[in-house]
Amino acid sequence: MDLSEFRAALDRWLDDNAAGLAPTDEDRATLDAQMAHLSEVKRRAYDAGWMRWGWPERVGGLGGTNLLRAYLGEALTARNLVEPGIYSMTEVLAPTMIDYARPELAAEMVPRLLRGDETWCQGFSEPGTGSNLASLACRATRTDDGWVVNGQKVWTSLAQYAERCVLLTRTGTPESAHRGITALFVDMDTPGITVRPIETMHGLAEFSEVFFDDAAVPLDRTLGEEGQGWAVAMDLLPYERSTALWHRGAYLYRRLEQFLADVPPGAVTPAAVGEVFQQLYAFRARSRATQRRLAVGEKLGAETSIDKILLATAEQAVFDLITDGLATDVLLGDDARSARLRSEALYSRAATIYGGSSEIQRNIVARRLLDLGADR
Amino acid sequence: MDAEELELFAKSLEHATARHTGAALDAALAELGWGDAFAADPRAAVATLFELQGATATTSGALDVVLAVALGLDPTADGDGDLGVVLPALGASEPPGRVEGDRLVVLGLGTADLARRSGVLVVTAAAASAVGGAGGLGALVLDPADLDLRTAEGIDPRLGLITVAADLAASPASSRTRVGGIAGGTPGGTPDWEAALDAGRRALAHELVGASRTMLELARQHALERIQFGRPIAQFQAVRHKLAESLVAIEAADGALAAAWEDPSPTASAIAKAIAGRSARTVARHAQQVLAGIGFTTEHPLHLYVRRVLVLDRLLGGAGALTRELGDDLLASRSLPAMLPL
Repeated sequence: MDLSEFRAALDRWLDDNAAGLAPTDEDRATLDAQMAHLSEVKRRAYDAGWMRWGWPERVGGLGGTNLLRAYLGEALTARNLVEPGIYSMTEVLAPTMIDYARPELAAEMVPRLLRGDETWCQGFSEPGTGSNLASLACRATRTDDGWVVNGQKVWTSLAQYAERCVLLTRTGTPESAHRGITALFVDMDTPGITVRPIETMHGLAEFSEVFFDDAAVPLDRTLGEEGQGWAVAMDLLPYERSTALWHRGAYLYRRLEQFLADVPPGAVTPAAVGEVFQQLYAFRARSRATQRRLAVGEKLGAETSIDKILLATAEQAVFDLITDGLATDVLLGDDARSARLRSEALYSRAATIYGGSSEIQRNIVARRLLDLGADR
Repeated sequence: MDAEELELFAKSLEHATARHTGAALDAALAELGWGDAFAADPRAAVATLFELQGATATTSGALDVVLAVALGLDPTADGDGDLGVVLPALGASEPPGRVEGDRLVVLGLGTADLARRSGVLVVTAAAASAVGGAGGLGALVLDPADLDLRTAEGIDPRLGLITVAADLAASPASSRTRVGGIAGGTPGGTPDWEAALDAGRRALAHELVGASRTMLELARQHALERIQFGRPIAQFQAVRHKLAESLVAIEAADGALAAAWEDPSPTASAIAKAIAGRSARTVARHAQQVLAGIGFTTEHPLHLYVRRVLVLDRLLGGAGALTRELGDDLLASRSLPAMLPL
């Protein structure tokens, strides 16, 4: 199926099913409700085939390029049917499973994620390991039939909902840095795993601390080879900075459009509005080119750090504008719409922090794209 | 052009812009057939030449050709191949000519070769009631001798911009009645000024991107070579991040510019020009800071580019004005234009 065919048919299906798919205020009010609603939307979209396009047949997909997935996420977010952050986790984790899991494991697991039967999380950051990912310490020790994991992760998005986790562990010496890391695919109901959600300033406990206390993981849950975890992570990150960002851009486009409908006359200057739109437009142009490169089989790399910087900058600009133009609602409003705007405006502060801070992205640009050498 | 032809074409343009500027570059462009390339593949011809012009801080009359063709002239037609086109005044986007009663008032800018052209095309605006077609737009070709042309040395003497002024009878004796293919060649037809702005803004945006890439490369080289505290300053994060931000700014402009070719619209080229202008000034600021003392001297080429982008940003509408106009439109329509489909 090509993109225009897919677009037309999907738009028709979304029009026909709008009532059943749209979240109510209750569906949006808490993260529990958002997650439940997301599963429902994914299940319906999967059963109708949409959620399967753009994924390979060996993991239950129907084939076609990433552009189909990009458009599906764009349509769902632009129509306010799903929240982009929780929806797009699929785009980050499924490609990693397809590339690195045993084929039988990928074939068994990926459809569960696509269909909304399961939530997965990404166990990368640790209390002592934020930007410096290669210093991670959560240890996996080899046993006769697998691994035993001890340690802690933090900022693990959706861990409290997750059935599985793509977990980076230290399997080499503490000094082995990026060479001694192994990626595991872990069942979150494994004895010895404890999850503690963290309350955030935007009011949704989106991420958690995860504790591992002698948690046993079978050997066949190793992603790639022992010691190959850094490669798994480096291959995952460009996915995090491509299709997931395209979805987020579509959501911001929708938010800015809604703002234009709502803003009182004179509340913001034309120059401010024009510049915010230009920033979002520049991101979208860049991200579209990235999507097209992905569609013709190009391997994405460090250049996606530019996409991430542009998106993060645009996201904060959009919500700075909204906070200025609708200050009374965002700062003082008690109704559901105001609460939502407030939560989103606050969440935009994290855009330059999560998924590799803007400083780390600039380090990548400096080293990999400008060839400035190591920074020390 | 296929990939091989494009590479050869780019190589010969690179050669030409490395050695020539002004009239000499125009002669070199004529010799290597840039006009034919422009007719066959406008995007490749414009992108390649204008980025190189920006990268080398050279200048030519190619912008006149781009504008003339957008206005409907056929540069291969007799006499039309050598027309200059009067640009709006600095920072402005309105046509440079104005019909006021029985007078024609011209206030604008021209590229360096304007005085040597056989004719100068002036697009005019008039009150809607006046003769000149719908929207009050008209066009006529004047003898350069009838215009007050002065070289505007200003901040960037090498650009060789010319200020154009005139106050003439509305139909001066020197004017040609037939203006190429404008509105099917009918005298008094309406020129497509919007199309001229579109095409010109894309070309200038490419020139700004080219200049920006050179400024970044100059700063990058310096950062790698300049040793302080026992190491290249490229190792200091404050310096690295300025250079990284510069590349991000350039790629934002480059992406918007590609989109303006792929999904052309007046909005798309205005956005590309605004982003390219703002990005160039960001890059100029960072490069100047990284190059520090040497970049402040005329012994180093940076100043040529700092000067150039300040002027280019304001030709056919500056970033500030274009951004305000865009915001005005968005606030008035209370919606976003549907754009950049996957």
